[in-house]
Amino acid sequence: MEQRLANSWRQTINEKKFIETALLSELRVDGRRPFDYRKLTIKFGKDDGSSEVQLGHTHVMAIVSAQLLQPYKERPNEGTLAVFTEFSPMADPSFEPGRPRESAVELGRIIDRGLRESRAVDTESLCVLSGKLVWAVRIDIHILDNGGNLVDAANIAALAALLTFRRPECSLGGEDGQQVVVHPPEVRDPIPLIIHHLPIAVTFGFFSNENIMVIDPTYHEEAVLTGRMTATVNANGDVCSIQKAGGEGVYQQVLMHCLKLAHVKAGDITAKIKDAVEIYNTQRALRKIKRHSISVAMDVCGTPAKSREKQNQLDGSHLDQSKFKDEASSMECDATSSGQEQSNKRDGVSNKFIGGPSSWYGISYCCSPDLLKASLASHGPATHRKQKGSRSETKAEEPPQEMTTYSSPTAAGLDAAQNIEGKTLKDAVKPKNKRKKKRLPSDSGN
Amino acid sequence: MEIERPDGRSPNQLRPLACSRSILHRAHGSATWSQGDTKVVAAVYGPKAGTRKNENPEKASFEVVWKPKTGQIGKAEREYEMILKRTLESICIRSIYPNTTTSVIVQVVHDDGALLPCAINAACAALVDAGIPLRHLAVAICCSVADNGYIFLDPNKQEEEKMKAFSYLVFPNLNVSVLPERSTQKGGEPTAHGIITSVTHGAMSVDDYLHCLERGRAVSARLSEFLRKNIEPKSSSESSKAG
Repeated sequence: MEQRLANSWRQTINEKKFIETALLSELRVDGRRPFDYRKLTIKFGKDDGSSEVQLGHTHVMAIVSAQLLQPYKERPNEGTLAVFTEFSPMADPSFEPGRPRESAVELGRIIDRGLRESRAVDTESLCVLSGKLVWAVRIDIHILDNGGNLVDAANIAALAALLTFRRPECSLGGEDGQQVVVHPPEVRDPIPLIIHHLPIAVTFGFFSNENIMVIDPTYHEEAVLTGRMTATVNANGDVCSIQKAGGEGVYQQVLMHCLKLAHVKAGDITAKIKDAVEIYNTQRALRKIKRHSISVAMDVCGTPAKSREKQNQLDGSHLDQSKFKDEASSMECDATSSGQEQSNKRDGVSNKFIGGPSSWYGISYCCSPDLLKASLASHGPATHRKQKGSRSETKAEEPPQEMTTYSSPTAAGLDAAQNIEGKTLKDAVKPKNKRKKKRLPSDSGN
Repeated sequence: MEIERPDGRSPNQLRPLACSRSILHRAHGSATWSQGDTKVVAAVYGPKAGTRKNENPEKASFEVVWKPKTGQIGKAEREYEMILKRTLESICIRSIYPNTTTSVIVQVVHDDGALLPCAINAACAALVDAGIPLRHLAVAICCSVADNGYIFLDPNKQEEEKMKAFSYLVFPNLNVSVLPERSTQKGGEPTAHGIITSVTHGAMSVDDYLHCLERGRAVSARLSEFLRKNIEPKSSSESSKAG
């Protein structure tokens, strides 16, 4: 094991002096002011409850999952929350797999305390059968890249993941009401957790000179600091927890100043998290439409091979759309047809454009038959699919393109559908306006 | 006669591939690889001094750490680590840095079928990003055999569960192995015809397995083209990462 230690990074005296001297003139090595945070990016994964946060060079991933377990004896009516931290060896050459180090345990405890003691996550709503079955929420935090200030980044990742997590809905059944039926996501929509407030951790670093204090220290600054404090506050101004484990002594006034700063920063970060979660939720809603459409489309339309079939389906889809408005039925019908077109187009175009630019995908809207007919006419029937030896050319740009394909055409093309979803009652009252709007493109196309 | 897959692909069609390199700052080399929804992050820490106790000190050795998305590390993870280690050992030139250990850490971000091939591809890209000397690249593919005998490439999780059997195949990719498009000639290629790794689950007939190998090799040309394009250096002056 000595070999590993031999490869870990050691800071030179020059670096240390440089950082301290620069801080005397309120300059930090990466150009920030002492009280500035690094750039924060919050991204979400495909599943509900998985988030990836980048704070400068620090990269953290959090995954939330839930299981039905027995509750603690002292709290039979409450669900449980557990935080597991993984300091992956990929984050830092000095992180070793196996037993968690004390900084990993400390990080887990800080996040846990911020969530549990302040009752940020409503645990009573997680109870299913009092005393027997409750939802046990588990947060796994994986540190992917250690660029300094892991606590703040991990906290933000955990909060973002909790906000986007959805647990399956379950109901009590059976003769005595004691049997728990967990509904799969296809049957009933999973429901989000109830989060009362967002406790944001803000880390301060103190140096040997008493006047110097920084927020969000980087990895290099962390090696120079003599004292560190993490204050977990929420946007309402409540202090959820303070962690100052040893290190240099700090004056009370400085601490109060820190708490005030933390309050300001918490407000900023809370706004950023909420924005990111909003965007994710809208994308999720759009994806749900698409998911329904694809799962139904395959049953409906066998093999989407020839161009004529596509045209027929198009005409059929427009008929469907008009029928839909009259009946004000579920929007799956409309989504089905548009999903069909989308998947048809995707398959047709992907086999056609082997080696061609995949930027074509962005153009294919689901509700513009003109473009579809033009593209079909210029490229003939899709017979390549039938060849056994054919394989699709997939480029690196495809996933981002596909994402934009799904979000923009569904956004543009299905605006009408969304209006319909939101205004089914109005539709029942005024079907004529919508019908006219929808028929115009089909009339011009036909 | 078309066989329909739930997401509308043809039997020989892969899911959309995506690869990005140098995503981590502390690691010497890193890459993410995603096939459809399956996404894996791999990081490499370049040769460190010393080898573990049971390793041969005359050669460079590898250490693989597999991190699942959630849960405890169990036997399945250990098996993946072992397979990955042996695969990577065979593609690297081990005689260059004797008595060193290179660590490869794999983190599963999302598992939607064909996880091990995705991880092998990611690890290979990460090794290139770190500058570890390799004999050749490795491309991995998953071929599955359905009950009716049809072979489907790159199944997702739902398909994997329904299949009778599936196999993970890893093929080498030499620098002269870029085949012309839709070429069916087998003879006259100056490439190696070996398989680096083959892991099978479930029972399939010998013929089925040989068909899987054929299909896998045919697709590996496409995959290796994609891999090669992605690992080309973005700029001529890429700084080295020495920790």
